[in-house]
Amino acid sequence: MEALKLKLKQQIIEALNLQDTKPEDIDDNAPLFGEGLGLDSIDSLELMVLLERNYKIKVEDPREGRKILQSVQSMAEFIMSKQAA
Amino acid sequence: MEIKCYIQASAAISPQQSFSGEYAPQFLPLEERNLLRAQEPGYAGFIPPNSLRRMSRLLKMGLTAALQCLRNANATVPGAIITGTGRGSLQDTEKFLHDIRTYEETALNPTPFIQSTYNSVNGLIALQQQCTDYNNTFVHRGFSFEHALLDSLLQIQEGNAESVLVGGFDEMTVEHFFIKSRIGYWKSALTQPADMLASGTPGTIAGEGAVFFLVGTQPAPVEVRGIQMLYRPAPDQVASQLAQFLQKQGVKAEDVDLLVIGRNGDTRFDHFYAVVEKALPSTATNIPFKQYCGEYDTAGAFGMWTAQQELLSGRHKTALVYNHFYGEQHTFILLQKH
Repeated sequence: MEALKLKLKQQIIEALNLQDTKPEDIDDNAPLFGEGLGLDSIDSLELMVLLERNYKIKVEDPREGRKILQSVQSMAEFIMSKQAA
Repeated sequence: MEIKCYIQASAAISPQQSFSGEYAPQFLPLEERNLLRAQEPGYAGFIPPNSLRRMSRLLKMGLTAALQCLRNANATVPGAIITGTGRGSLQDTEKFLHDIRTYEETALNPTPFIQSTYNSVNGLIALQQQCTDYNNTFVHRGFSFEHALLDSLLQIQEGNAESVLVGGFDEMTVEHFFIKSRIGYWKSALTQPADMLASGTPGTIAGEGAVFFLVGTQPAPVEVRGIQMLYRPAPDQVASQLAQFLQKQGVKAEDVDLLVIGRNGDTRFDHFYAVVEKALPSTATNIPFKQYCGEYDTAGAFGMWTAQQELLSGRHKTALVYNHFYGEQHTFILLQKH
């Protein structure tokens, strides 16, 4: 789980071009949108693409997406649950 | 009654150190390929970091040149935003097309697609400056900036706007440079800008840039007297149309003391420039501006910026900008110092 979260943080930084942000700057449970990293709606689409490209997971329901993309922790848990299924 | 239109401010990002407002064109050395790359300024003072991280190169250049132009004019919200671009953001277009192929039309990132649309720069300027007025982007290859300028003059003439932010921007990517080299756009041998006019070979040197003007009714030192475009004219038509254009503007050929010309050393099309040079007095100062910015669809905007800078220096009174894009799209722009 820890390795996955670290990898996710690196992928988020690269995909969203978060210059001057390091993986250790991102708290596992901090919200990705609004406060925390301050991401916006276009970023949420990019994160969906990130999940699809890197983990072959497609989020079909946008309401589901809101919960999944809440934090790095929630994203990692979602990936783990899909990979286990 | 005809309303006069003045250049109230300008800003240029180009291969020259033009962004600082300094006008000192130089021959820049080329080492690898026949391409004059734009010197990008620091963007941090213009674009919020959260927006900056997502923008591609052309968007940053276009938006920053536009914002600097407004700052130079002490203005925030123009009456309209009108731009021209021949290619839009090539970097984003290429990324988007590349991703379509790599990911077999699935999992496509929305950002390059959004930014590859030609009017992205206009949208960003409007969003950042909260400008909800007329907003238009012209994409007509070598007529792109010129149509934007014509539209600006018409908006002002018709009383729709007192000021218009008008600009032109284009970038060159490695891939696009290669594609265009295959159809003979660039000189096959590495040629220095200082030597390009005397090279005696087909093709030219590529360039890029983003140039903006705030034009409007408020009197300023340089007036835009008029613009005329000609599509694929014969050389003798260029001469006759120039005579008519000057007559319509109430200017005699001998009054033109500055010719800012698009000569780019391409032997296939240089004869058009010779026609215009012959039609004007030999005493007129001749500045071939593409030695400084290279060739690109909206290079005419840099030509107009060059003419404006020369007029502001006080050395000249009446400037004609003549440019054409690979022999197809020809434009006259007449500027006058007051």
